[in-house]
Amino acid sequence: MSSDSAIRCAGLGKAYQLYARRTDQVKQMLFGGFHRFYQEYWVLRDIDLEVERGESVGIIGRNGAGKTTLLRLLCGITQPTCGELNVAGRIAPILALGAAFDWEMTGRQNVLIGSAVLGLRRSEILQRLPSIAEFAAIGPFFDQPVRLYSAGMRSRLAFAICVHADADILVVDEALTVGDAAFRQKGLAFMEAFRSRGTLILVSHDMEQVRALCDRVIWVDDGGVRASGEVANVLRLYDDATECEEDDGIHGYIGGKTRVLSLEVDDSEDEVTTTETFRHDDLECDSDEVSEAVA
Amino acid sequence: MSVFINRRDGARGSTGLPDRPDQMSDDCAKGGIAARGKRCRNIGQLREAVGRAARHGKRALAPLKVGWRHRELILAVLRRELADRFSGSLFGWVWAVIGPLITLLIYTMTFTKAMQLPLASAQGGTSSYALSTFLGLIIFGLFAELCSRAPLLMHEHAWFLKTSIFPSEILAWTAVLRALTYTGISFVVLLVFELALNGMLPLSILLLPFIVVFLGLFLLGVVWFLAAIGAFTRDISYLMITFVPLMMFATPVFYRVADLPAGLRMLVYANPLGAAIEITRAVVLDGVFPPIFACLGFLVVSLAICRGGYAVFERYKGILIDVI
Repeated sequence: MSSDSAIRCAGLGKAYQLYARRTDQVKQMLFGGFHRFYQEYWVLRDIDLEVERGESVGIIGRNGAGKTTLLRLLCGITQPTCGELNVAGRIAPILALGAAFDWEMTGRQNVLIGSAVLGLRRSEILQRLPSIAEFAAIGPFFDQPVRLYSAGMRSRLAFAICVHADADILVVDEALTVGDAAFRQKGLAFMEAFRSRGTLILVSHDMEQVRALCDRVIWVDDGGVRASGEVANVLRLYDDATECEEDDGIHGYIGGKTRVLSLEVDDSEDEVTTTETFRHDDLECDSDEVSEAVA
Repeated sequence: MSVFINRRDGARGSTGLPDRPDQMSDDCAKGGIAARGKRCRNIGQLREAVGRAARHGKRALAPLKVGWRHRELILAVLRRELADRFSGSLFGWVWAVIGPLITLLIYTMTFTKAMQLPLASAQGGTSSYALSTFLGLIIFGLFAELCSRAPLLMHEHAWFLKTSIFPSEILAWTAVLRALTYTGISFVVLLVFELALNGMLPLSILLLPFIVVFLGLFLLGVVWFLAAIGAFTRDISYLMITFVPLMMFATPVFYRVADLPAGLRMLVYANPLGAAIEITRAVVLDGVFPPIFACLGFLVVSLAICRGGYAVFERYKGILIDVI
């Protein structure tokens, strides 16, 4: 791994294990060596990605393409199913802003926990508390339980925590969509400033934002990288594609052709239920086997 | 941060396909995915071979290392949980003291008035028996609380784990430390009573911190194990409801090991919880050095359970987040 790369992954893939029933999870845990009790749903596969230190990279793609899963992998929230992933440096994820808050605790208490999660020491956190409160600008609500907050206030606070986290890598997923114009300005200004000292990974549907903040864009489509490179070029490709491809919803539905790695249909009753639950209208071989099994 | 893929499950996931050639229809999309699966598998195997040698050396200390690495976070969560418990109610600390006192009172009355005391325990009289039982109850209560809480631990924090980079293995640390803190309060009550009854505390009490460390490690292992399995199925928490009361009688809570016939004594010492209680009694109440074989056994079993529980948790950690 070159010393300059902040993120490097090769052949990265993520398959979620889909279980027909909760009990199958236990069976998998106990007897996983003999039989597989789940279906794999490949959300991402074969992602090769190298992000230099200090680079800012935009990730675009339609809903369900795997953008968020990619970010979750980069942050280490979920583990990849295959491939190799190296992340060098302290990472601060701005995903699902404020979702990790404990609603019974006050904003201040949440800041103490949230900052500790991002790797700050207690002394550092206490020192930065006034600054965090000022950035969030939620006034007296800072000492009220989070359950009284509006969505905008929660995201303000969560964003303020990440801003003060000394991160080397900032991972931002649609962060500023709930904030008002003034806060969005503040957030954009921070990200703009952050570009000069750290690595920025930005997922956005706002092409203007991507154009303004990113050096490079990666277009994730259907679990893979469809295009990557110069901002203008990729955005043009993406725009063209969006125009001519009609919106057919989420690709690769469960059990469909696109993302299922393998389908195992035994003639035991259990397996039949599994298959029926996931409705693979797409695969003829399955319906045949199902009818055999039923007969 | 660096993530290498060497979980056996990941490799198995990718090998699922070629077992059944009939499934490999002329569907080219599938073939493509199979090739990718193969490639993923090769990388995984290579990683595994390289990683295996390095891992063996570091393995033994891993559970402690992970706690040390996240010490700031553990303390932050612990501080919040304790504040939560004690500032949310009017008499937080008072309840923590009164609770064990009432239990002590009821159990002592039952066993001294309604039932016959076990022989060896009866020698010191009612007050000594009360202290001995109280001590057993304190340590057993610690275990019982963690057993009932651990299977739900991941579910309780599911949303938190899914949306932040909170390391899930830390939950066991905070749960154990929190329970140890409550236990500490009860233990102070015990010591105060002992001081009031006997006028002094034995010097051997200085060995107590060592017992606490190993008891903590044992409990950590138990919590990691139960939390991992409990994340997959709710059955574990139901199972615990049956298991914990049974365990109470297999552990010398109301009796002492000396009450048992010689053949059964080893069995009690094989139970790390029983060993912990007996060792603590020797150190705190009797003022003698506990039997050395019991100490060694306790030490080894605690370490093994800690390491084993952590291994199980690590093994399933990657999948846990996706299933809760």
